[in-house]
Order: sequence, then structure tokens, then C-alpha cells
Amino acid sequence: MSLTTSEHESTEDGEHHHEYLPAVEGAENPGGEHESAGERDKKERLMIWLFIGGDLVILILEVFAWFYLRTLNSNGMWNAAKCTAAANCVDGLGNPLIGPVPKASIWHPMIIMSLAIISALFVWAAESASRRKAAKGAVSGPALAALVCMIGAIVVQILQFQVLPFTTIDGGYASVYEFFMGSTLAHLLLMGFILTGLWTRAAKGRYQGGTFHRVRIMRMFGVWIAISTGVLAIVGGFFV
Amino acid sequence: MSIATAPLLLEDTPLGPKAGGLYRRQNALVGLIAGVVLAAIGWVVSHALLQGSNWGSDMVVTVTLTCWVIGFNIGIGTFNAPFSWVVGKDSTREDELYGAGVGQGAARYWKYCTDHKVVGTQYFVLVMVLFAIGGTLAMMIRTQLITAHSSFLSPGTYNNIVTIHGMIMIIATIIMVSGPFANFILPIMIGAKDMAFPRLNAMSLWVVVSAVPPLLATFVLGGVDTGWTTYAPLSVQAPPAMDAFAICIITFAGVSVTVAGINTIVTVSTMRAKGMTMSRVPIFAWGSVVSAALGLYAMPAFLTAMSMMITDRATGTSFFVNQLGGAGWLWENVFWTMGHPEVYVILLPGVAALMEIASTFSRKPVFAYKAAVAAFVGIAALAIMVWAHHMFTTGWAPNLATPFMLTTELISIPTGVIFLVLIGTIWKGSIWTRLPMYFLYLFLWNFIIGGVTGIYLSDVPADQFFHGNMFTTAHFHYTLLGGAMIASTGAVCYWFPKMTGRMLNERIGKTAFWFIAIAFQVTYFGQFWEGFQGMPRRIAFYDPIFLRANQMSTIGAYFLMLGWMILLAAIIVSWRNGKIAPANPWHAKSLEWKVQTPVPLENFLVDPVVTSDPYTYGEGVPDGQNEPSAAPEPELVPVGASESSKGEGAS
Repeated sequence: MSLTTSEHESTEDGEHHHEYLPAVEGAENPGGEHESAGERDKKERLMIWLFIGGDLVILILEVFAWFYLRTLNSNGMWNAAKCTAAANCVDGLGNPLIGPVPKASIWHPMIIMSLAIISALFVWAAESASRRKAAKGAVSGPALAALVCMIGAIVVQILQFQVLPFTTIDGGYASVYEFFMGSTLAHLLLMGFILTGLWTRAAKGRYQGGTFHRVRIMRMFGVWIAISTGVLAIVGGFFV
Repeated sequence: MSIATAPLLLEDTPLGPKAGGLYRRQNALVGLIAGVVLAAIGWVVSHALLQGSNWGSDMVVTVTLTCWVIGFNIGIGTFNAPFSWVVGKDSTREDELYGAGVGQGAARYWKYCTDHKVVGTQYFVLVMVLFAIGGTLAMMIRTQLITAHSSFLSPGTYNNIVTIHGMIMIIATIIMVSGPFANFILPIMIGAKDMAFPRLNAMSLWVVVSAVPPLLATFVLGGVDTGWTTYAPLSVQAPPAMDAFAICIITFAGVSVTVAGINTIVTVSTMRAKGMTMSRVPIFAWGSVVSAALGLYAMPAFLTAMSMMITDRATGTSFFVNQLGGAGWLWENVFWTMGHPEVYVILLPGVAALMEIASTFSRKPVFAYKAAVAAFVGIAALAIMVWAHHMFTTGWAPNLATPFMLTTELISIPTGVIFLVLIGTIWKGSIWTRLPMYFLYLFLWNFIIGGVTGIYLSDVPADQFFHGNMFTTAHFHYTLLGGAMIASTGAVCYWFPKMTGRMLNERIGKTAFWFIAIAFQVTYFGQFWEGFQGMPRRIAFYDPIFLRANQMSTIGAYFLMLGWMILLAAIIVSWRNGKIAPANPWHAKSLEWKVQTPVPLENFLVDPVVTSDPYTYGEGVPDGQNEPSAAPEPELVPVGASESSKGEGAS
């Protein structure tokens, strides 16, 4: 491989040195840039896309499990629709099941989905403010609103666990539905963590001065969270 | 000017007493203590709250081992950066240098070090430890099978050992190339200063480390007697050890391999040296990227499968319980969605490393480079469409058997291209037969046997007979051990001088090679023989008609283990006292050989600009005279000083 060299810096005696700067945490840390903002942006955007790609595989398999078990309906136990006292269907603990397992309320996932979408829109607003180099509050305000929405979604998801009309032991439908809820909660918690960082850092003015790309990758992830939450809400709500 | 004489600056940087912050107090021992303490707290709390519930033991084991993983990673420093970020605290340049191991000597190998070379070396040692454990378990299996009704192991213990042997070997083979070499070598090879995300890189390593104790804990938690495929409903009914097994996989596959794969892809995509277009990227980088991409598809599937299983066991869901609305076939589909691509996740980086070896030691460019890249991509594309050939005998969707047979047989086409690329590269080359080439030849022999026997298993009627017997065991060992692991051993021999600064002792290495090469054939031809006779796999006792074949296989296995131990001795002896390696002992052309040994922090004291492909062997040398020693060192010219420096920008 033929190669030539590009010098970061040449000292007076002609020797080559690395650029040497006091800090490295991104353009949001003025003077601390070890690589350009554009390079970081490119890397981080690709990372987010790849992470979403991996998460998409999980989402597809969750939806696959739902429709596979629903279609197979083994032993009539998708939601015990065919159970009668004579059929002697039992739940996971051996207790008799008579009649179909009640469906979960459609409102909880719809509220969660709506809050996730609104949260993503607030992050979008924060990105927009950062992009036009608006005042610190114009970024941290929407960031806080996004965080509040996300916390609301987390609370609703936890509440739904309390009010479900079935438990994990009540057959295929109950199993996959609760898995959906667990998966959604994990995603919401992750997004909540990210939004906490967005808010605290925005409040410190870290996203002023042309560093909107850091907010953009959070928006990308926020949009993905809204989409995946929505898909699970729609499948779980309308395809029982 | 030569790169080798440039001054080292970063390593010599004096750091203040507070550089590194919390990292200064963290290392593997702190991780161990934190992990044990948190696991103990988890056990006490979960035992008090959950033991009386319906799935108490499973919940307690799950909570305890999850606490172990979290605690260890808190102790080692995995969570420092995310929590610093979330409270708005940024690291300084001094912190970064401390994190990269500056001024810490050998202690950095026990810490959350962000230098990709340290991470690569840590992976290298970890892989050897895992192979030692997995190999020891293999010897116990073969010892049990040396007689038809041996009392060396009980049937239950035998099955547990078979399972953990399989899983440890799968973990070790997944990381055996992508861990050491895609971390240590790959960034240098493409002209990068480090991996794209150094902290995530360290995280991928330490997360694997934290995943190993739960796997070994299975032996004291009742064992996992299901085989590594952990088919439901066996896995749902297994002792609490199955929870530990699942925690290991969720941690390893769901976090470590996924993060490492993302890091590899981003590094190669965005951090190549100026002028290194994708057609100039060394073939090893292509193999690593395609493997990582395939892993990004496969490993989330493994995570999903294991998450469903652990909820079945610890919370009473019924994903895989037929009488409660689940289906064992769901497990098989989701598991093999991971399972077959995972074979190529293991294989591709090793094969790509062999292509580098073939080119270097034949003094020829990689033959049909673009076809090799297309073959990698073709294999990856087909690998996600063949999963159900593992289910021909389960009764699932018989109408789909023919399409899956077809896609499985189609995959032999790009695999054959890879074979031809290796042959074509060494064909009529000026071959320099050093130790890495020995392993290349062995790979070619083993892999053709592994490949051809795979065609039998892709054929539905033949698979009905072979699937459950030792033929299959022999086949996948020819593919994964004889193919992928031999390829990775070639890679060890090839890149050992760059990684350790010492030459591998070739005399001991060649001795090991002959033991491995011959004993391998004895071991696994013995298992083919068992398979043709119809001996089922995963059995502790067998009919005496299989005795001769088993004895042949066991004796071969003892010598095979001896061969590996000799190779391990060569590695240890050479690492400690080997001959000092020059920067480029093989006169190779790719960038990792253009930097000094030991490689400085951030690799390049001047940024390289690439102006040609990495295989310009023999240029300017008359035909037939391109001997190994003829490879000229490249001249380093400052950018702008010559027209030839104006390569295409990669970034």
C-alpha cells in the first residue's frame, strides 16, 4: 500500500506531532475538539441507524411471535377463546380457565404512544432551536417538556401493569402482550435516560453554537421509540 | 523521514493526580467485589421477596445474576461515562489519556482501558481462557466416550458438560477474530487512530467478561442438560441453571456483540485514511464489516429468544409451552434466525484474515478482490434465508423444506467463490511457507470437507438420517473448528509479531501444527464413522458396535488437545522471551505493518494518505522475481508534495 502523510503540526525541527488539545468531548465543549463536529456527527448518526436496525430485528420478532402464536392458537389457548369447563383448560398454575381471557384496555398503549410521539416532537423542537442557535432556554425548554412526556409514558406503562385483566400465566395472548409491555417500558426508560441528559446539558448551554447534530441523533432515536411503541400498541390493541 | 523514528508523545504525557477521575479507583478486582456485593444484595432481597412466589428460584437466580452483571460493570467503570454525560460533566483530554492507559503500565490490562490495542490484547487472552475451559470440557466428553458404558461421568453431568462446552465454544469463536484482531489490527489497517467509540469498545470486552461467571455458575445451579440449542420445552423445564445460561446470552449477545458490531461498522465506514476508498480497503476489513452486520441481525434475535425463555421460566409466560398457547416451534424459529447467520459471523472474519495471509505470503494481490467482497455479501444475504434447514426433522412446515433446501445449497456458491479466491491468490505465487501459511493449507483441506458434508445436511432426505447423529457433530466441527478456528489460528500466527512485539516461535508452532492437523482428522473422521454407523449425538452411553469409532475419535482428541497445548506454550514462551519482532517481518503492504512495533498510542504519528490498494506486490519487479524480501518500504511524503498523493478522500 503506497501512502503519503498529512501533518497535523510540524515543529521547528521538522518532526511530526499529533494535534494536542486540552479536551475532547465534542464541539459542545469549546476548544476540546479532537475530531471535527462533522466527523463525530457522521459516526454518531451511523451508530444510531445501526442501533435502530438491531432494535428493528427485535421488534419484528416480537410481532412475529404475536401473529405466530395467534395463528397457531395451540390447545385453543391464544386467549382461551375455545375454553369451556368441559375442555378443562388450565392456566399456568393449573387453575381452570373458563371462557376467553379479557382483553387489555386499548387506552393505555394509545396514551403511551401519544406521549412518545409528543416527546419526539419536543425533541424535534429542541433540535430546531439548537440548529438556529436560539437561546439556551429555547433548547432546554422543549427538552424538559420531552422528558416530562416520557416520564408520563413510563408512569402510564407501569400503571397498566397494575390494572391488566390477566396475568402472565393466562395463555399466549397474555404472554406476548405482557412481553410487549416490558419491551416498551425498557425502551421508554432508555429514552428517559437520554432525555434527562438532553435536558441537563441543554440547560448548561451545551447545544448552542452549531452543535445541533448532537440533538439530532437524540431526535432520531426518539422518533424510533415513538414508532416502535406505536407498532406494539397497534398490534396489541387491534389484532387480538 | 520514517514513521518508525518519529517521537512518541502521547505515552509520555505527564498526567495530573486527578486525571481519569473515578476510573483511577476502578479495575477488575473492584468490579469483582462490586459484582459479588451487589449479587449478594440481590440474592438477599429477591430471596426475601420472591422465593415464596410461584417461580421463586428462577426469579432469585435471575435477579442475583443480573445484579452480578450490573455490579461488575459498575465496578469496572462501564457506567461512568453515561452517567457523567447525563449530569452534564465532560471528560478532559487528561481523562481521555488516562482512560487510554497512559502511565499505567501493565495495570491498564486490568482496567476499563479505551485504547483499542489494549482491548484487542484483553480479548486475545480472554479467548484463550475460554478455549482452555471449552477444550477441557471437550476432553471430558471424549473421555466419557472412550468406552461404551463409562462411569467417568453420570449421564446428567455429561449432558451438562455438552451444553456448556457448546456455549463456551460458540462465545469464544464469535469473538476469536472480531475480538483480538478487529480491535487491535483493524483500526491500524484502515489508518484510524482508534475505534469509532473507544468507550463502547472497552464496554464490549468487559461485558463479555461479566457474562462468563453466570455461564460457569450453571454447574452449581443444577446444570443445563439441553444442549446449547436449549430447545423448548426442555429449557423451560430445566433447573435454575437455565436462568444463568440465559443471563449469560442476553449479556453477551444482546449487549457485547451488538455494540462491538456497531463499533466495527462505524469505524470502517467513517474512519478510513484519506485515499482509502472502499475498493482499497484490506479484505480483512470487508470480512469484519460483513460479519458485524450479520451479527447485528443475528444477535438481537438471540436476545429476543432468551428474553422470552427467561420470562417463561421466571414469570410464567407461555411462549414455548404448547398446552398453554405457546409453541416449541416459535423457539426454534427465533433461535435459528440467530443460529445459522451466527456460523458466518464466526467464519467470515477468519476467512478474510486468511486472504490477507495468502496475499502476503504469495506476494500477490488478493485474487478477484471484488468477487471476494461480493461473496461475503452474498453469504450474509443467503445466511438469513436458510434457518429452517435446522428444522427439517422437527415437522415444522414441510412445504417449506424444498425452498430452504434450495437456499441452503445456494449458499455453497459464494462459499465456493471464497475457496477459489484463496486458491487463486496462492496460485503461481512466490510462496513463502511460514507458519500462517501452514494453517491456510489446513483450512483449505478442512473446510472443503466441512463444506461438502454440509451439502448432505442441506438435503432433506439425507438430513433425516444424519441430523440427529454424530455425522452432524463431525460436520460442524470441521466447519467451525477445522475451518474458522484454524483460520483464526493462522491470524494469530500472522499478527502475533505486531500485537506482542515478539516473533512466534515457529519451531514449536510447527510441531503444534502437525499434531493439530493430523489429530483433527483422526478425531473427526472417527465421528463421521460413528455417524455413518448411526450413532446418535448427545448420549453418554452407546452400543458397543460404535466402540472402535469412538476410541479412534477419543485418541485423536487427546492428541488434538496436546497440539493446542503446544501452540499455547509457543504463544506464552514467545510472548515472554521471543525474538524481538521487526515492524514488518512479513514485508506486507497493508498499513498495520507500516507503523512501528510496539504500536504507539493513536497509532500514527502522521496521518497516512493512501494512494493505492493494499496488495501492490511485485510492482516494478520482473515476473518471477517478486520474492518476499523484494517488497520496498513506501516513501512517506507530506501531503501536497506530489501529485500521487491525491487519492480519493474516504471521509
